[in-house]
Amino acid sequence: MAVGAAESSDEDLAARAVAGNHSAFEALVVRYQHRVFRLACRLTSETDAPDVVQDTFLQVYRHLSAFRGQAQFSTWLYRIATNAALMHRRARARRPAVSLEEFLPRFDAEGRLEDTPEALRIASRADELLDRRVLATKTQAAIEGLPNLYREAFVLRDLEELSTDEVARVLGVEPATVRQRVHRARLMVREYLGELAGGRL
Amino acid sequence: MKDVVCMSGVELLMEYMEGALTPDVRAAIEAHVAGCPRCDAFIASYRETPRIVRDATRVEMPAGLEASLLTALRNARN
Repeated sequence: MAVGAAESSDEDLAARAVAGNHSAFEALVVRYQHRVFRLACRLTSETDAPDVVQDTFLQVYRHLSAFRGQAQFSTWLYRIATNAALMHRRARARRPAVSLEEFLPRFDAEGRLEDTPEALRIASRADELLDRRVLATKTQAAIEGLPNLYREAFVLRDLEELSTDEVARVLGVEPATVRQRVHRARLMVREYLGELAGGRL
Repeated sequence: MKDVVCMSGVELLMEYMEGALTPDVRAAIEAHVAGCPRCDAFIASYRETPRIVRDATRVEMPAGLEASLLTALRNARN
C-alpha cells in the first residue's frame, strides 16, 4: 500500500486511483470493506453479502472515472452498494418469512394509543427478554419483511447511522422523504419487537 | 395548532426528534406527552428500536474475505 494512504482523504485516494494508482484504489477498498459488508448483510443476508461487496467494489472500480468529487466519495459508494444489494435481492426474489406491513401501533376511535404503557414499553426490552441468537434471527427477518423503500432508508439511517441528509443524497430523495420512510419502518419494527418481547409471536 | 392526540403526535415523532417542526407544533406535542403515560412509553421504545436492531445485526466481516476480494478485483483489472 502506498505510503500515506491511511491519512489520505477518500477523494484524494479516488483521484489517485483514477490516475491508475492501484494501491490507492485498494486503500479505499480496505477502508470501506467492513462498512459495505455490514450494510450488505443488513440489506440482503450474511450468505449474499460477500457477493454484494465484490459487486460493489467492481462497480466502483469501473465507474471511478465518473466520480468527479462533486459528491462525497462515501455517499457515492453507499449508493452503489445499496443498488448492488437491491440487484441481489431481485435476483433471489425470495418471499420474506414475515411481512411487517401490518405491524403498526393501534389507536382507538379518539386517536388514543390502545395498549397500556407497560405493553407499549416492552419493545425497548426486547434485548433483555429474548435470547441473543433468537433476536438476531428475528431482527434480520424483520428488516427483510419491510417494504423495499422503507428498508433502505431504515438501514442507512437507523442502523448504519448516516445522517438524514446523507441518506437523502444516497437515495436521491428529499430529507423529508427519508424521515417519512424511516419513521414508517421504525413504527413497524418497534411494533414487531413489542410483539416478540411480549411473547405474542 | 389543534390539540395533539396520541395518533397525531406519533405521526410527527420523527420530525419532532429531528427538529423539523415549528415551535408551536413542538410545544403542542410536548404538552400532550407530559400528561400521557402511553406516549411516554411509546416514545421510549421508539427511541430504543434502532439500537436494539443495530446491536442484534452487528456482524464482523469474515477473515479471508479481504484477501479474496482484493484478488477478485486484481483479476478484474487484468
